[in-house]
Amino acid sequence: MSGKSVDIVKRGGRRATEAFEEKKLRASILAACLSAGTPVGHADALTQTVTNAVLDWLDTRPEVTSDDLRRTAAKHLSTHHPDAAYLYEHHRNIL
Amino acid sequence: MDIYTSFAIITLAALVHASFQLSVSVLTLLRSHAIGSKKSHTRTLRLTFGYVTGVGVMTLLILTFAATVLQRFFATDVPALIWAITCGLLVGVGFAVWIFYYRGEKGTSIWLPRSFARHLSDRSKATKDSAEAFSLGLTSVIAELVFTAAPVLVSALVIIQMPAEWQPLGVAVYAAISLITLFSIWVAVSAGHRMSEIQKWRENNKRFLQFASGSALAILGVFVYVCTLMSEMAGIA
Repeated sequence: MSGKSVDIVKRGGRRATEAFEEKKLRASILAACLSAGTPVGHADALTQTVTNAVLDWLDTRPEVTSDDLRRTAAKHLSTHHPDAAYLYEHHRNIL
Repeated sequence: MDIYTSFAIITLAALVHASFQLSVSVLTLLRSHAIGSKKSHTRTLRLTFGYVTGVGVMTLLILTFAATVLQRFFATDVPALIWAITCGLLVGVGFAVWIFYYRGEKGTSIWLPRSFARHLSDRSKATKDSAEAFSLGLTSVIAELVFTAAPVLVSALVIIQMPAEWQPLGVAVYAAISLITLFSIWVAVSAGHRMSEIQKWRENNKRFLQFASGSALAILGVFVYVCTLMSEMAGIA
């Protein structure tokens, strides 16, 4: 992504739109990988790969929903680590 | 009611209590957040143990509180009307579990209002030490009282009718059995089982657990009705 800002429309459109933060995306993917029992080094590498894929996807979009962002990250993560992708996608549906 | 029947009722009520999933969901979230934020294994164990202890302590407190209040009102002679109300409550809550316990969406989302679920989820993420985890355990037991009140009530009624020397054992048996699920999951994740495996198992079996919990409550209601009211009518109490 070439440094342009992307707006994230929050879940259900009920909360205010916020600017995309790569750091938050990275932290959530890393947390899912670690929760799935992935060793730290491998988790870091997977996080980098998936984050890059999501940044490419965002490159042509000025605005996306948080659900779309989560689904896209989960789709890319599932090709590398299905367990982590499962936790990433269903994290909000545990409780 | 003899001592064996009393313990049978307490055991079944505690098993139903153990099958409710709110505490397990919060433990799953707490564990996931702790691992995800790179907390050490020892620290994660301490947090989750604090949480399980909080759940155990609050279960003990609620049961003993209910037993004390009921004993204050009825001593050891519980009126037939109270037994009838309790049996009706057990059957009614059993049906409510069948219908309402899980939401009709993916994952293991339960009936809890979304604002409360978000609060518990946020607290589990923000929990940094054992004392906070302990208080999270206390809160999660209170949050599930809508469904656990029925098994707690019937156990308290049975416990106050037991001889005084058996009452502490009755309370201990209930608390220990109601913690079985939570403790098993705590042991499983401590032994290295992945959260994703456990969560997938919970999701795949949620309808069975819902059916089993609801049915067990209804069966418990009928069993208590037969043991108390019908035997009283037949003059064999």
